[in-house]
Amino acid sequence: MPTLIIDGKKVAVPEGSTILDAARAAGVEIPTLCHHDGLEPWGGCRLCVVDLWQPGWDEDWFKLVTSCNHPAKDGVRVFTKSARVVETRGVVLDLLLARCPDAPLIQQLAADHGIEETSYAPREEPDDCILCALCTRVCDHLDITAISTVNRGAGKEIAPPFHEAPPDCIGCLACAEVCPTNCIPYETSNVRRSIWGKEFEMLRDPATGQAVITKAQAEFFAGRGGVPGEYFETSDTTKRREMAKKFVSLQILE
Amino acid sequence: MKMIYKVSVERCIACGKCELACAFAHGTEGKPAVSRINITRRGPELGTPVVCYQCDTAACEAICPTQALVRNPETGAIDMDRGRCISCRMCVAACPFGNMLWDETYHCVQKCDLCGGDPQCVPFCPTGAIAWVPADMAAIPPEALDRETLAVG
Repeated sequence: MPTLIIDGKKVAVPEGSTILDAARAAGVEIPTLCHHDGLEPWGGCRLCVVDLWQPGWDEDWFKLVTSCNHPAKDGVRVFTKSARVVETRGVVLDLLLARCPDAPLIQQLAADHGIEETSYAPREEPDDCILCALCTRVCDHLDITAISTVNRGAGKEIAPPFHEAPPDCIGCLACAEVCPTNCIPYETSNVRRSIWGKEFEMLRDPATGQAVITKAQAEFFAGRGGVPGEYFETSDTTKRREMAKKFVSLQILE
Repeated sequence: MKMIYKVSVERCIACGKCELACAFAHGTEGKPAVSRINITRRGPELGTPVVCYQCDTAACEAICPTQALVRNPETGAIDMDRGRCISCRMCVAACPFGNMLWDETYHCVQKCDLCGGDPQCVPFCPTGAIAWVPADMAAIPPEALDRETLAVG
């Protein structure tokens, strides 16, 4: 088990852990934006950067790395609040604030770091997308790949292919749910759901009309992990009622 | 000795204290709608408690795309890791028994995790319809409930 030192605290972590895993194990907080425990690390937002020294280097030589995906190797020393780290986080937040000046999350994170206003030119007609790619990453993780990052540089954005209703989207809303700035709009009801310009029919309980997933979701997930598609067809309320009836019939005493 | 959550339907008087206890144990409001144990009321003082069965081959664990539902080897429960949930609600649809619930506070799903091995609902049940017992006592049939004596007035 590799052992490393984070802000002076010694911590041992399982092989294959990242610096971020080690920091959490040591009780050290490192801010993140594009990190999600359920997804592979991406290293895109640069907020989690830390100063790292590894055995073999000069004592005063450090490298600024993204802790979310940097492997925790035996003997490394990590500093999460060095002057350089604090300054770099400030620049990252300053730039994010220029990109998304109206996003409450970014405003809060910047303010917590002492930045009230961006020192860069704010984006014209800004939206709240910070390009963390959590939406595309979760869509890829589910093997749906309905949306992706499009273009590069200043024109980079998140969109379905050709900016049209994505043929592969199943309306699971995972992209909207993981978005840290809630900037993916959608509408949902027991009857229909719409997101990315695509309309979905909901899978409704035949007795109560309740719906939780779309028909497309049910089709996509049917059979996965050995779970039969039939399980999706009734709502949880109906299922509990059915189980309750079953238990009564199994009672030993009256 | 492994502990098991035992439900004796015959002894349930549908008082709903378990629902309140659960709601308060996991939040600040006594809202039965957010309780992880649900009583199906079928008559005066007649109820059937329905709660997660921590299935050996759990549909929720199998369908979750981010492995947010994982067996806890100590409690035997299927635990939910909130950090991994992407709110896709496939587990809600997949659970054949309807025991996966929506948590509006955190905007993700929630389920009974036996409170980490110390179920908070159990001490509140006045009749022992729900119990936390050693595994070798789980198969003992429940005693009949003397409803006449329990009834007030």
